[in-house]
Amino acid sequence: MTDRRRINGPPSGTRPVVFASSLKSASGAVAERPRRHRQPNELRKIFLKTGLIPSASGSAYLEYEPSASLAAARSSPQSLIPPSSALKLACTVHGPKPLPRSATFSPNLVLTTHVKYAPFAARQRKGHIRDASERDLGVHLETALRGVIVAERWPKSGLDITITILEAEDDRWWGDAPDSHDAPWGMMNVLAGCITAASAAIADARIDCLDLVAGGVAAIVRDEEATEEGATTPELMLDTDPAEHKSILSACVVAYMPARDEITEIWLKGDHSKAALGVEDSSLGHEALIEGAVNAARGAHTVLVEAVRESAERYAGLVTGDSGRN
Amino acid sequence: MAAPPPALTLPPSQFARLQPHAYLLAHLSPPASSNQPSIRANGRASSQFRPTSANTGSLTHTNGSAVVRVGDTTAVCGVRAELLPTSDIASWSVSRSGAANNAQQRQTSSNSNSNDEIDPEESQIQDFNLLVPNLSLSTGCAPGFVPGAPPSALAQSLSHQILALLHSTRLVRADDLRVWYQVPRLGETDTKGQGQGEGGMDVDDDTTTHGQGKREIKAFWALYIDIMIVSLAGNPFDAAWAAVLAALRDTKLPRAWWDVDNEMVVCSDAVAEARRLALRGLPVASSFCVFEADAAAGWRAVIVPDAEEEREIEESARKGMLRRWVLADPDGYEEGLSQERVCVVVDKVDGKTVIVKLEKNGGWAVDGRELKQLVEIAADRWEAVKEILEQC
Repeated sequence: MTDRRRINGPPSGTRPVVFASSLKSASGAVAERPRRHRQPNELRKIFLKTGLIPSASGSAYLEYEPSASLAAARSSPQSLIPPSSALKLACTVHGPKPLPRSATFSPNLVLTTHVKYAPFAARQRKGHIRDASERDLGVHLETALRGVIVAERWPKSGLDITITILEAEDDRWWGDAPDSHDAPWGMMNVLAGCITAASAAIADARIDCLDLVAGGVAAIVRDEEATEEGATTPELMLDTDPAEHKSILSACVVAYMPARDEITEIWLKGDHSKAALGVEDSSLGHEALIEGAVNAARGAHTVLVEAVRESAERYAGLVTGDSGRN
Repeated sequence: MAAPPPALTLPPSQFARLQPHAYLLAHLSPPASSNQPSIRANGRASSQFRPTSANTGSLTHTNGSAVVRVGDTTAVCGVRAELLPTSDIASWSVSRSGAANNAQQRQTSSNSNSNDEIDPEESQIQDFNLLVPNLSLSTGCAPGFVPGAPPSALAQSLSHQILALLHSTRLVRADDLRVWYQVPRLGETDTKGQGQGEGGMDVDDDTTTHGQGKREIKAFWALYIDIMIVSLAGNPFDAAWAAVLAALRDTKLPRAWWDVDNEMVVCSDAVAEARRLALRGLPVASSFCVFEADAAAGWRAVIVPDAEEEREIEESARKGMLRRWVLADPDGYEEGLSQERVCVVVDKVDGKTVIVKLEKNGGWAVDGRELKQLVEIAADRWEAVKEILEQC
């Protein structure tokens, strides 16, 4: 079925580019997996700015700092294959606005979330219609935000949150074949970014919240060298870039409110039971994971606070500018 | 301590919402006593465009990308190249017969890369749908567009306008999108004589490609040009087209060749071997809208004024009483107040302005003389946009 509302390409479809270097990796220089240059508990820098989309009631743009390998590839390009990618997304909030007449009565604010990847966001071209993973992200985001917004203050109203992902995180390093540890790990980073950006945009729209909710990711990874030496203990890393790790055993993303010490959304994936984190660390795998994700969220929260303060100052400037008439 | 009762005044922002037409009209035709210049509500002169900025190459997973901001309208464009093997084209073996030789002849002579050369096979871009622009407005860019819904009429119309403009300007060269393969000569002589229609070709063939077979096209590059309007505050077409132009200028296609062993087209990932698209010209779009002083102009039946009325209008214009204003690069507020739109796409060739596209609809206010002025404004805009695109 062709989509009559869009311009379709060649009817027989097209094939993605196949690079010669990926066909015969045995010969010649083998591309190297990007390495993590950060400390295990060091986060990537986050660029977060509010109010870039004036037609929306609230908006935020979030961008992760490119990893060292990507930054190097950008400044002196050698290969057309990007080593890793950095999250870029735009979030808009429309509302609170009255619900359509046909909608049933709701005493609370009705939250709708849409997450959509741009067709060029990932290594494989994405379709124009939302697929299952995008809907899944939308549902996760909704649960994360529903616990934060004081919904009773807007009966019979709706709030639309739309996120456009311009560049997503990789699920694994491009040179790796899919293996047993494979899962869409990149989605977890995307979700954490969505939560942080949506939180900033909601605050920018001046909607009452319990606290600024921030997203954070932690993962238990086993690195390449470890497998060669034998049974080395897996490590807990915060804010993992999936492209930088050989295998991610399990990962966790939380939406966390620091002021109330509450978690509104938790998503844990992978096998964390066998991953004993060294002898000195007696805590269980999943507890360590959640703890790590919360710490990552605390880090993101500091950026969030700055962005929201900036938004508030801009708003205050607008109000005083308006009140100059009196 | 009794405060005086508040006077019944409205702040300008509320007045603009309640009485948009009167608000804009009051800005454009201030009372003569106030000695204020006629200026738009957003502070621009009527032929002034919004500040524009462009940034290219920031998206990792694209062959070329650009972000263009025109005032508060932001368009992000990503160009993604994929391969279309000729074996997948149903009509390929039929249409090919004499074409390969033609193209070969052109190929050998076009190394000088002169601009005016006419490619007889240029229509391949259109025939095989090699350019696939799609514009998306459902990004939460403005309140009216429901995210997740199928593209609105405006989005569909803009996508098609961009496609039509890409085809009519012939911006992308078909030759840049071809992946050639030199068939090695395997000793038989009859393969050579096959399919050569022109007599003059034989001489050329023997001298230049001696010891090699003929060249054939194995695949085409298909360019998926996706435009996300991240923020919409009027005039999406200019921003989208500028983003497409900037992204195409940024696009690099990897070197591709036919791999006989794998029977597929493979590419080299070396940046040094990748080449940019050689675009034809630099068409720049400028949009205008016409604001009428008569608030009901949009409701009235459109009657073309006769000569006498025409004279009256001219008379009043000479006295400085304008009844309508042509506003360049309208923002969302002005677009909502006007019916008539003009879109001019111009290019400059050797210092001469060339009109590439001219579209005008919704009214009769803009006549031939005014169109001439608009083309001149568009030519000035061309210079400005060119400078912006060359800097990024």
